[in-house]
Amino acid sequence: MKTLTKLALVLIPTMALSLSATAHDPSLHVKKAEKADCSKMDHSKMDMKNPVAIAMMKKCMKQSKADDHKMKEMDHSKMKKIESKAAKKDDQEHNH
Amino acid sequence: MKIIKLLLVLFVLAIGSAATVMYSGIVNVAADEPHSNFVYWLLEETRERSISHAAKNIKVPDLSDPELLLTGGTDYEFMCASCHLKPGQSESDMSVGLYPAPPNLAISSKTHVGHEHDDDDEAARRNFWIIKHGIKASGMPAWGKTHDDQRIWAMVAFINQLYTLTPEQYQILTAID
Repeated sequence: MKTLTKLALVLIPTMALSLSATAHDPSLHVKKAEKADCSKMDHSKMDMKNPVAIAMMKKCMKQSKADDHKMKEMDHSKMKKIESKAAKKDDQEHNH
Repeated sequence: MKIIKLLLVLFVLAIGSAATVMYSGIVNVAADEPHSNFVYWLLEETRERSISHAAKNIKVPDLSDPELLLTGGTDYEFMCASCHLKPGQSESDMSVGLYPAPPNLAISSKTHVGHEHDDDDEAARRNFWIIKHGIKASGMPAWGKTHDDQRIWAMVAFINQLYTLTPEQYQILTAID
């Protein structure tokens, strides 16, 4: 108990002080690992000889493939069970 | 003999003056207090001459491979953008707080005011050397201690294209796979 009190006495002021040290816009200090937002890519305006356009295409294709791979890795058999359970529940509710 | 004595006295005086200034603590090292124009010119000229001299023999590889933009883009976002900014951004805490202010690499170097830039190869050599070795007392780290030359050239390739990118293009190129 004494150790817990000591820990609380050290940790609470430390956390309070570190929170008060945030700068004017905390979002500037957050580094998020974002995925490429390929929805805004306009293929009609892209010059496929331009290295920037080629790099963007490569990035989006790679991401699309990775997403497909993740979808394939999902256990669909379990999803069907969940769906069928939900459907049964709906049926039961309708019968009442 | 008189001349030698005079030179010796002048030398001792110069060392004494420098030591007095150094140990008195009157030199303000605060980053929010700019140098005088003369000191700024002196330091900037020394820095630019040093970089030109050190980078003159670096061979620039082919930087047109689009794959370089992907590697360089991700590294730029995580290592450089907080100081050197990105398309659509005009300042950050770091770009405002650092002194000397880090250059905004998201705008064309041709629009930089107050100093001229060399041709593309010269600029690539310069950027490679700065990224690899850093600059003393400026906040610019030596990324060469933790990154190989290939990765640094990828960053140089990305920086070459950076000013042409829209915020949307930048987001795609710098995103994590």
